[in-house]
Order: sequence, then structure tokens, then C-alpha cells
Amino acid sequence: MSIEAAGDRSLYWRVQLGRNHGARGLFAVVVLFLLLYAYLFPGLLTVEGFSKFSQTWFPLALTAMAQALLMLTGGISLAIGATVSLGAVIAAVTMTQTFGVAGGIAAVLATGLAVGALSGFVVVRLRLPAIIVTLASSFIIGGAALLVLPRPGGAIPPWFSTLLAGDTPVALGLLALIVLAWKLYLATPLGLTIYAAGENPVGAFRSGAPLDAARISAFAISGALSTLAGLFIAAQTGSGDPVIGQAFTLNSIAAAVLGGVGFLGGQGSMRGALAGSLLLAVMINVMFFLGLPPVAQYIAQGLIIVGAVALPHLAGRWRSA
Amino acid sequence: MSETASDRGASAPAGRRVAGILRSRPVLTLAMVALVWIAASLTSRGFGSYGHLRYLVELAAVIGIVAAGQTFVMIAGGIDLSVGAVITISAVGVPLLSWPWDPGGTAGVAGILVISVAIGAVNGIGVAYLRVHPMIMTLAMATLLQGALILVAGGSAVSVQSPAVVWLGNARPFGVPAGILLWLAVSAATLWVLHATRFGARLFALGANPLATLLSGVDVSATIVTVYAMSGLTAGLAGVLVLGMNGQGYVGIGDPYLLTSIAAVVLGGTSILGGAGTYAGTIPGAVMLVTITGLITVVNASAGWRSILFGSLILGLLLLSGRESRR
Repeated sequence: MSIEAAGDRSLYWRVQLGRNHGARGLFAVVVLFLLLYAYLFPGLLTVEGFSKFSQTWFPLALTAMAQALLMLTGGISLAIGATVSLGAVIAAVTMTQTFGVAGGIAAVLATGLAVGALSGFVVVRLRLPAIIVTLASSFIIGGAALLVLPRPGGAIPPWFSTLLAGDTPVALGLLALIVLAWKLYLATPLGLTIYAAGENPVGAFRSGAPLDAARISAFAISGALSTLAGLFIAAQTGSGDPVIGQAFTLNSIAAAVLGGVGFLGGQGSMRGALAGSLLLAVMINVMFFLGLPPVAQYIAQGLIIVGAVALPHLAGRWRSA
Repeated sequence: MSETASDRGASAPAGRRVAGILRSRPVLTLAMVALVWIAASLTSRGFGSYGHLRYLVELAAVIGIVAAGQTFVMIAGGIDLSVGAVITISAVGVPLLSWPWDPGGTAGVAGILVISVAIGAVNGIGVAYLRVHPMIMTLAMATLLQGALILVAGGSAVSVQSPAVVWLGNARPFGVPAGILLWLAVSAATLWVLHATRFGARLFALGANPLATLLSGVDVSATIVTVYAMSGLTAGLAGVLVLGMNGQGYVGIGDPYLLTSIAAVVLGGTSILGGAGTYAGTIPGAVMLVTITGLITVVNASAGWRSILFGSLILGLLLLSGRESRR
């Protein structure tokens, strides 16, 4: 066992393993579903099939991270879907202009950060409940997306689409980079404060943690993750659509909750949220490939979400009874 | 110490009572509505006419009725994000529930109300017995209903034939639209239940401190189920009214009412965290929202700008009146 190798190192891994504790069941279910998926559709095991699958997961993973980040600080966003749409239309409009793809990525990132930071400022500094602010801002952001592109259109350079959403698992690599960046961010004072802000805001404030700054930057990062998801979707479809992101509001919350992230803040982990989004992506894919009609997909999705949240509670009660 | 909400006002000294009235949120919201109406009728011709104002209140009736259920749920510490979907289900479902033995259409309306109550009760069962967070439960219910809608409506618009629904949407007994009369009835019932019954008192207790409420012997689970069922009922009622006023039901007809119902409740001074508030504030809140939407249509902007204006105005209004310290 390498766990007992060196003093500091072993503590690190023990802590990391300890954080898996609540999510172990979830990980097992995810692996089970992935195996089932691979059994039903052996195409998953080829490079192309695997790449395509990771591409359907990627935007959901990003939005799940965006939502989980806010939920960890004790907030929530009902504007994720609108922000994804805004990212998609901005990418589709800017990438064929003078500044090219790099300019487009910068514009998408800047918009996400600004939109998120603004919502965060209103929630944190002006003391309005996050759910109401983001519900109202979903109208503002959705309206802005309609202004940028009133109807589906715009374009993404084909080489960029092929790079991101072609037959190579580039998206998965990007996701690994983003997760790495999240790990680094967690080690900064602002990152450390995220859990403190959700778990015990008063205690965190009294011990001098930068509470407001951490919350506002959580909103900003969450906005940037959402617009990036939009950029990816635009690259996938080759154009922008001002309402393409709508489903991501519910799905991001569902993925985070499936992953064990609590509503009250401070409970859960990003790896849980990612596993939750993976589970949701696999289930959506399986239902799609089994040829279920949209009706059944909606109903199954609703039932699965409620079931995933209710089952642990019921199991606990059954065990104690 | 045995005073109740109804006689607390009467026992206070007159001076403090006046100050209290001026500081109360329902009165403040009402004053805000009056201010906007006066300003708008001075600047825009036709806004202040009796017909237009009556039309605004008629539109507000729909929001007000949905918001009645939302007020119950929020005071009890929950939130109902499925009202939009329930309104759509009700508006699309009424025309499907017509039978030859029911020429008046009342049985169809009753049927859809029963379905709405059942949907709300399922929400409540999920929240109370399965311990699913209200936001997840009602959002998941909205997703589920979306699937059911495709099943029943197939995506096409349905037009109304039921005489009862048409009457509700268009009749004017005593010169007052039936929708407004319905809203008056719902308002009276809501205020009575909230402030003059034991059930209402339990809702406030539940929103303020669920554990203490449970320990003092209240059947918390049953109360929660009832509260969500009531929200389902009002949303279903609003759906019938919308169908009557529109003449047509289509998928998505209820969507705008989700944000507006929550905004009306919060504008009226009810805490989104539960335990405090009154429907008396929600009423002017609903009128305020309709006035804003009306003013935005007067500006004649594109769909994008309308959406931006709507969101910003609601946010601005909440900043003016809805601030509360969190935790």
C-alpha cells in the first residue's frame, strides 16, 4: 500500500479517500451503469464512440460543476440554462469575426465572469435571496441572448468544431484540466472559504475568512463554466441558438443533487457532482438509444431524480425501524 | 399573552397603530402601485381609463390566484416551482375532459381541479414523506408534467368549447369580469385560512421552526401535503381562468406565471424562508407585476428587450422592497 509510504503524502490520500465515503454507493452505481451501457452498445469502447459519449457528458459536467459550486456556498442558480444559451450565441457570433476563435473564447469567458459576478454582487452585497435573483436574471440573460441572436444562426469555424467535437476525446482532456484547476482553486483562500461559507457563515466571518469575496467569485466562476458549456454546445451544433440551454437549469441541479451536494451549503463534493452528471448523462444516452419517446424520457428523468434523493432517506428509515 | 394575530392591532395604541400601518408591507406595496398608476396615467394617454385599469386587474387575477397557493407554500417554508406546468396541464386538459353528458362543462372543470389537487398532493407527499427538497420535488414534477403534456396535447394548441370556461373568461356579472370576482373569492378564502384558522397558524409555525412545530404535536406531514395540494388547486384554477380569457390552450401557456407568482409573493413582503408574510401583500404585488408588463408592452420593444426589462424591473422592485437579511 502506497498510503503508508510518506508522512504528508499518506495523510493527503487518507483525507481524499475519506471524502469519497458518502459517495461510494454513487460511484458503484455509475460504474454499473457504464458497464451496462458498454454491454448494450459496444460502440462505446471504440475511440470514436467514447469521444462522442464524453462530448454528450461534457456540457452537463460543466453545468453540474457550476451549480455545485454555488450550492456548496449555500446559494443556487436558476439562470444556468439562460447563461449556457448566452455563451452559445456569443460564441457563434464572435468566432467568425476579426478576432477569430481566440477572441470568441475570450468574449465568452468574459461574459460568463461578468454575468456571474453581477448576480453574485446582487445576492451577496444587496442581500437578496439567490433563488429570486437568479430567477429574475434568467429573464435578463435570456433576453440578452435573444438580442445577440434573435433566431438560430451564426457560425463556428469548422476546424474548431472538429477539434472540440470531432472523433477525439479532446473534451475529456479539457474536463480533466478544469478539474485540476478546481483542485488548485480549492487550495487558495477564496477556494477554502467556499465550504466555510456554506457550512457556517457566521463562524467563517468571525474567523476573518473573505466570505463575500469567496461567494461573489463562486458566482463568477459558475457563470464562466456555464458560458463555456454554451461555447461547447455551439461548437457541437456548428451554430448558436438563443434557447438551446434551457434544459440545463434543471439538469444541473439534478446532477448536483444526485451527486450528494446538499441545498443548505457545505455538504457534498465536486467529485460527487461530476459523478452525478455522469450518471445522468449515461441514463439520458441509454434512454435515447433504447428509442424511448420523449414522453418516457421526461417522466423517467423526473422519477429518477426524486428517487435518487428519496431512496437514501427511505433506506435509512427502513434500517432504523 | 393569549392575543392572536387578529386582535393584536386592536389592542395597540392609536399612534403606534398608524405608524405600524405605514410600515406594513401590504400598505407600502399598495402605495407603490398607486404611484406607478398615477405616473403612468399622466404620461401615457389611455393608461388611466377605467377600461384599461379593469383589464389590468383582470390580468392580475390570474397571477393573484396562482400566488395564493404560492403564498401558502412559502409561508410554510417551501416553494412550488411546478405551478407553471400545472397551469399548462389545466389549460390544455380542460378541453379534453368534455363528455356528452356534461354540456355545461362544469364536470370537466371539476375534473381538472381534482387532477391539479392530486398533482399538488403528490408534491407534498414527496416533500413530507420522502424528504425530497421542495425545489427538487416541484422541479422534477414540472419535468414529469412536461412529458405528460406531450402525451395529452401532442404539442398542438387546443381551443375551448366548454361553456363554463368561456363564461369564466368573458362574463361580466354586475359589470365586473368574472375572473376578478373569482380572485376576490379566492382572496377572501386565503386571508381567512391564513389569519383566522388553526391551520393558518400552523403554517406560520411550520415555516418559522419545523422542529418545534413537530414537537408541539402538529401533524407536520399532513400539513405539508395539504399546503401543496392547495397550491395545486389554485394553479389549476388559474389555468382554467387563463384558458377562458385566451380562448386557446397551448404548451407553455403557464410558463410566465412561475416567476410572476413567486415575485408577487416576495414583493408583497412574504419571506422566501417561510414563517412570515400575508396574502394581503401578495394582492398589490400581483397588480404591480401586471402593471409593469403592461408598461413594457407600451414601450413596443423586441422580445429580447422585453425580457430584459421585465427581469430588471422585478429585480429593481425587489431591491427596493424585498431585502431581507439571510440567516
